[in-house]
Amino acid sequence: MILTLLLLIPFLGTLLLSLWPPGSSSAQLRRLTLFILSAQCIASFAVLFWFDPGNPGLQLQERLSWLPSVGLDYSLAVDGISLPLVLMNAVLCLVAALASRRIENRPRIYFALLLIISGAVNGAFLSQNLLLFFLFYELELIPLWLLIAVWGGANRAYASTKFLIVTAVSGILILAAFLGISLVTGSVDFGIRPILSGEMGLTSQLLLMGALLIGFGIKIPLFPFHTWLPDAHTEASTPVSVLLAGVLLKLGTYGLLRFCLGLFPEAWELAAPWLALWAAVSVLYGSLAAIAQSDMKRMVAYSSVGHMGYVLLAAAAATPLGLIGALFQMVSHGLISAVLFLAVGVVYERTGTRDLNVLRGLLNPQRGLPLTGTLMIVGVMASAGIPGMAGFISEFLVFRGSLQPFPLATLLCMVGSGLTAVYFLLLVNRAFFGRLAIAAGSVANPNILSTVALQEQLPAIALSFVVLLLGLAPDLLVGMSQAATTSLSDLALLQTTGGLS
Amino acid sequence: MLISLPWALGAFKRDAHRPAAYLNILLTLIAFIHGSLVLRDVMTGGPTVLTFPWLSVADLNLDISFSLSLTNVSALELITGLSLFSQVYSLGYLDKEWALARFFALLGFFEGAMSGVVLSDSLFQSYFLLEMLTLSTYLLVGFWYSQPLVVTAARDAFLTKRVGDVMLLMGMVALATWSGVISFDDLYAWSASETISPLAATLLGLGLIAGPTGKCAQFPMHLWLDEAMEGPNPASILRNSVVVTCGAIVLLKVMPLLQHAPVTLIVLQVIGSISAIGGSLVSIAQVDIKRTLSYSTTAYLGLVFIAISLQVPVLALLLLFAHAVSKALLSMSVGGVIASTNCQDITELGGLGGRMPATTGSFLVGSAGLVGLLPLGGFLCLAQAVELIGARSVIFVPVFLLTNALTALNLTRVYRQVFLGRSLTKTRRAAEVNWQMAFPMVALSVIVVLTPFLLIRLESLDGLLAFPLWAAGLVVGSGVIGLLVGSLIPLNKAWSRSLNPVLRWFQDLLENDFYTERFYRLTIVNVVALFSRLAYSFDRNIVDGVLHGLARLSLQSAEGLKLSISGQSQSYLLTVIAAIVLLLSSLSWWLN
Amino acid sequence: MTAIKMTAAPTLPDRDELIHRLLSDQPLLADTPDHLLQIVNVLDSYGVVLDAYSRNLVNQGETQLLNPFPVMRFFHEGFSFQRLWQHLRGDRINFEYAEYCQKAMFWHGTGGMDAYFDSQPFLDTCQRIIALRSRRDPLLALVHRIYPGFAPEAIRSMATIYALGLFWRVMSDLFLDLSRRYRSGEIVTVNDAVHHIRDGLVSAAGDPISYKVTVGDEEVWILPPEAGLTFLVDVAVPYVEAVFFRGMPFLGTVSYNAQARQISADISDFKYGALYADPIPSMGAGIPPSLCMQDMFRNLPEELSTWYESHGRGLNDVHVQICISFQKSMFCVTNGAISGTMPHSLDTTDFDQQQANRAYALTWAERLMGCQRGALL
Repeated sequence: MILTLLLLIPFLGTLLLSLWPPGSSSAQLRRLTLFILSAQCIASFAVLFWFDPGNPGLQLQERLSWLPSVGLDYSLAVDGISLPLVLMNAVLCLVAALASRRIENRPRIYFALLLIISGAVNGAFLSQNLLLFFLFYELELIPLWLLIAVWGGANRAYASTKFLIVTAVSGILILAAFLGISLVTGSVDFGIRPILSGEMGLTSQLLLMGALLIGFGIKIPLFPFHTWLPDAHTEASTPVSVLLAGVLLKLGTYGLLRFCLGLFPEAWELAAPWLALWAAVSVLYGSLAAIAQSDMKRMVAYSSVGHMGYVLLAAAAATPLGLIGALFQMVSHGLISAVLFLAVGVVYERTGTRDLNVLRGLLNPQRGLPLTGTLMIVGVMASAGIPGMAGFISEFLVFRGSLQPFPLATLLCMVGSGLTAVYFLLLVNRAFFGRLAIAAGSVANPNILSTVALQEQLPAIALSFVVLLLGLAPDLLVGMSQAATTSLSDLALLQTTGGLS
Repeated sequence: MLISLPWALGAFKRDAHRPAAYLNILLTLIAFIHGSLVLRDVMTGGPTVLTFPWLSVADLNLDISFSLSLTNVSALELITGLSLFSQVYSLGYLDKEWALARFFALLGFFEGAMSGVVLSDSLFQSYFLLEMLTLSTYLLVGFWYSQPLVVTAARDAFLTKRVGDVMLLMGMVALATWSGVISFDDLYAWSASETISPLAATLLGLGLIAGPTGKCAQFPMHLWLDEAMEGPNPASILRNSVVVTCGAIVLLKVMPLLQHAPVTLIVLQVIGSISAIGGSLVSIAQVDIKRTLSYSTTAYLGLVFIAISLQVPVLALLLLFAHAVSKALLSMSVGGVIASTNCQDITELGGLGGRMPATTGSFLVGSAGLVGLLPLGGFLCLAQAVELIGARSVIFVPVFLLTNALTALNLTRVYRQVFLGRSLTKTRRAAEVNWQMAFPMVALSVIVVLTPFLLIRLESLDGLLAFPLWAAGLVVGSGVIGLLVGSLIPLNKAWSRSLNPVLRWFQDLLENDFYTERFYRLTIVNVVALFSRLAYSFDRNIVDGVLHGLARLSLQSAEGLKLSISGQSQSYLLTVIAAIVLLLSSLSWWLN
Repeated sequence: MTAIKMTAAPTLPDRDELIHRLLSDQPLLADTPDHLLQIVNVLDSYGVVLDAYSRNLVNQGETQLLNPFPVMRFFHEGFSFQRLWQHLRGDRINFEYAEYCQKAMFWHGTGGMDAYFDSQPFLDTCQRIIALRSRRDPLLALVHRIYPGFAPEAIRSMATIYALGLFWRVMSDLFLDLSRRYRSGEIVTVNDAVHHIRDGLVSAAGDPISYKVTVGDEEVWILPPEAGLTFLVDVAVPYVEAVFFRGMPFLGTVSYNAQARQISADISDFKYGALYADPIPSMGAGIPPSLCMQDMFRNLPEELSTWYESHGRGLNDVHVQICISFQKSMFCVTNGAISGTMPHSLDTTDFDQQQANRAYALTWAERLMGCQRGALL
């Protein structure tokens, strides 16, 4: 029942929010949302209580027949792969709500959408039925589109439309693939289980997996399907960016592991070398494009393109180490990019610009944003893979796990990791070092930025600590997921040796 | 014995400014004393290894392990000792500094990382800590973050080291993958038993030496040390002496793994030679007092590289030790000059000798300890080197002698320029530095004078003094030549330059470090910038172009469906939801 | 989105305007009530700080001459463990800044006192002191034999410390008196404050500067009254030159790299003093005056503290605000010094005298043109 609770809390919360007495202020609604999301957080962490990390299989299964005619079951379960993501979703949604301090425009809808996203993402991570997954996958799309389209920046119409169209294409491809599976196998069983060569020809497998791959590749996003992401990030408000980078991109990588690799291990094995190459291109491309950016947020967005490439690389390798690395990378990227987006958000809110050609010296202790600068440096260093922080562990695991099967691609990805340092150093050095300046030209005494209260920074500070904690004690996460990723990897590797057939 | 003490230093936060500094000094003192106790134990009881399991996943087992061997613990003592001196020194040098707590916190972090590196017993852990060292170097160089040149210096220091680190990471990951083990002892065993293809071995070796090359500021990754001189002087003291030592010790530790890669050894020798001679030459042309020293650091570490690549680890360690203490002393002295004259340009200095006893004295003692002339550390090491290196590969003997001569020349030149002669405007009124700076200088001077005895204690007496007279003669000869030339060459004053065009070209070439920086700017930096612009324009024009084209196409075909966002979002939402429901229900019907 | 207030660049007073203000008895600083409040209160807290600085420097001059380890030099009020604890905790006046000013003054070396340092009588005095001290101090005897320049230089430095202590004694009293008169309603405009400073400087101008120490049981004059050193010309003017105008480059904002050549070879070209300073980086790394700002912050009068709360970022950037106000007040002090040293009375009708005044005002206006004139608005 606990898993259903994870869906019920946000969805009932949405209902509660819309029924809340009219005329309540934005702050009241925010408090209510915070309360609901805190409950959600507690419930998510409570799952740990029943969860057995040593068990590689699905746990806490819940199953109800819904529309048996179409094979749609209400079937939920959790394993070592989805649990960390569920936890991260809970935390980041709470952070996003905390960061939504100044929502004056229709706060009720805003917070309701936030709750819907939280529930839908949980649903997608937990569902054990392809159609159910798809339902949740699409359900998260609309609120996010609205969040960008209504509460976004100046160019929001373009960005949100692009986001909607592109992700809708992704959804259609995924749905087509799911339906294709049922057509080819001739069954309406949409349960998640590996499809073997006995049931389906390799060509159809490749075709269907290709559709899934592109579908999730759009969501992750991988080059060349990534351009919606920088646009969406630039226009989205800070909390939405946190959600987008931290949680929603993970739907793509989760899909990659669970469906592409989990459903079609044989086809995956065939495509793996190309996928590794694709990963390397994506990493290098994202990093290089990030260097050329002058908008801080775009830079962070492009860095996501690069960093998500590592997940594809590790998934392609499908070694036990690589897969745990991929999962670690998803979590650490979610946390780190949340820190980065929160810091960028503070800078933008105070200075009115994110232009690296204008901003200077924000580390100034009294007139600048020193704490934000410190958080930014922490985030940037974590993202660049400096040891002691979560980013390093994930990169090391990914590289170590992938070097054997794909040496060249892995080495290229390491170069990409070096490039990360380049663009993030540019960002920190330009915006935070030097003499304080927040406007074009040199004004003698810059305009005074309003101060940042400590509690506004608390979420970012807390996330930074988690990043450090995971970097110093990776066992916390590894222990939870190792069994599941190893079994997934066994599945993939057994295929190659023909062990299962 | 607990050895995690140096780590505690990294744990400092900035509660208030001065207390943090005192606390840090106190803890460093404790670490030093603790280290000496450990050293005594190790000397009597032999080396031990401390291991704590850290992460074990799939087929990967990572431990935190420290090896308490004589070498490692002596290096730890060197680091904590010099760190202690430089922290006391900072109290004086930065007595007008408001951000003192941050400085000391960084210094503590820095020291902790270095201590960890020398004690580390696994390649993974060494890498881990080297990267932390990179980070703390970045933060320390960037300490004065509003100074424009600091900004670029910190960036370049980080990136240069990072290039080395990424290559080391590649090497480390490859090694870990092939061998399946990660601690040094296991790796030695593996490399002795296993044979990998020469190409792989070479690439692996190059990767492994890249990290130390960056850390030791060796050609071609030496630029950062020059730029890092923008940072506060107390950090420069450590950087010139013990940071480079850390790099060299890591190289020593990976050395047994390079046995199957002769190319790597040759590369090391070439790098070492170029750095030794090039660094010495460049240092002679510098007018900035801190940079005259930093390039000579590059040069001495070049010698260490040669010694390591020729399999004389003892010699490398002796050189490192002698160099570290002398160079730290020289750096302190230079800091004293800067503090009392507000000037780093040696052509604007002069006549300080009579007035600043501690500063002058420590420059002289430091120079004597570095150069092979008087029977101090430098002399003993170089004499040993001439003999040991001569026995292995005689072509490197001239490199050592030339470096010695050039260093002597350089230091003599700087001494004349700064401490002798007439006093100029910036040195007309210059009192001795305050006692917090003077005291560590005097104390370290004593240590430098005692270096031979310390070296003898670490080595056995006969081993250290067993060099033939001709070797000593050669070393002293080269030192005397350098000294003579240094005291006879004309000095240029106040931004003047030679009138002879050839000489001037040569001077410019050396002064600008063979234009290495410009070379990098033109090549690597430009290439990366070009590619990044290319990628971005590809993004905007091709990827987005195709996308827009597709969108236009689909919009035209669906003319009636107007996608307008403004205002009508709710009805639009409704439409989309309706569409999905429709889709689902049609699906269910169709599948039935 | 929070609205970012954009302000148009204001027009700065030009050279002619500065000359006009100097000659027509108008303050350089715009005469507004806000300015009055800021400068009087900031000078009040500065007066308190200078009082402490001055006592300390004078005490150092009396007790610390040629002491190789002046560990206790900041304990001029006597030693106690409670004071040591406060000292270590940093709960104290930052006397390091006083030494910084002294170093600037000593290093730039202008004026009569500096000239006296090179005279034969002074060198003779030095030898006398060294001979006396060496009897009981073998270390000094040894060091002096090897480094003959060391001890005389240390004595020069100590003489500057003592003289600066005497100078600040006068300035502290002057500033505290200004604050007293402001609170009693005697000072109501910025111009009154400038006049107060001018009159104070003029009346102290002729005070003799002398320095006597006791070595062993013998009294020695380091700066004897016969040298004829006076307050205004030999200490105040060199101080203004060294600290207000030239200053020393801050490590936190200027690169010392010789190849970058950011620092002029000619120290008379230096423009790093208080009137040129940029207040924004205050309290950052490598900015020594941060110490002084902190000292003033600890002694800020209630009135100014309240005023700061409603300006800028409130108490978050109070040190920067203090620095801005402090710079304004230093312009007033400079203004008072210029007025006090005008060759002739301002209301003279003699044409030649008027020309001389104008020429004098012109030289100062030229100098002030490069300063942070934004502070005058």
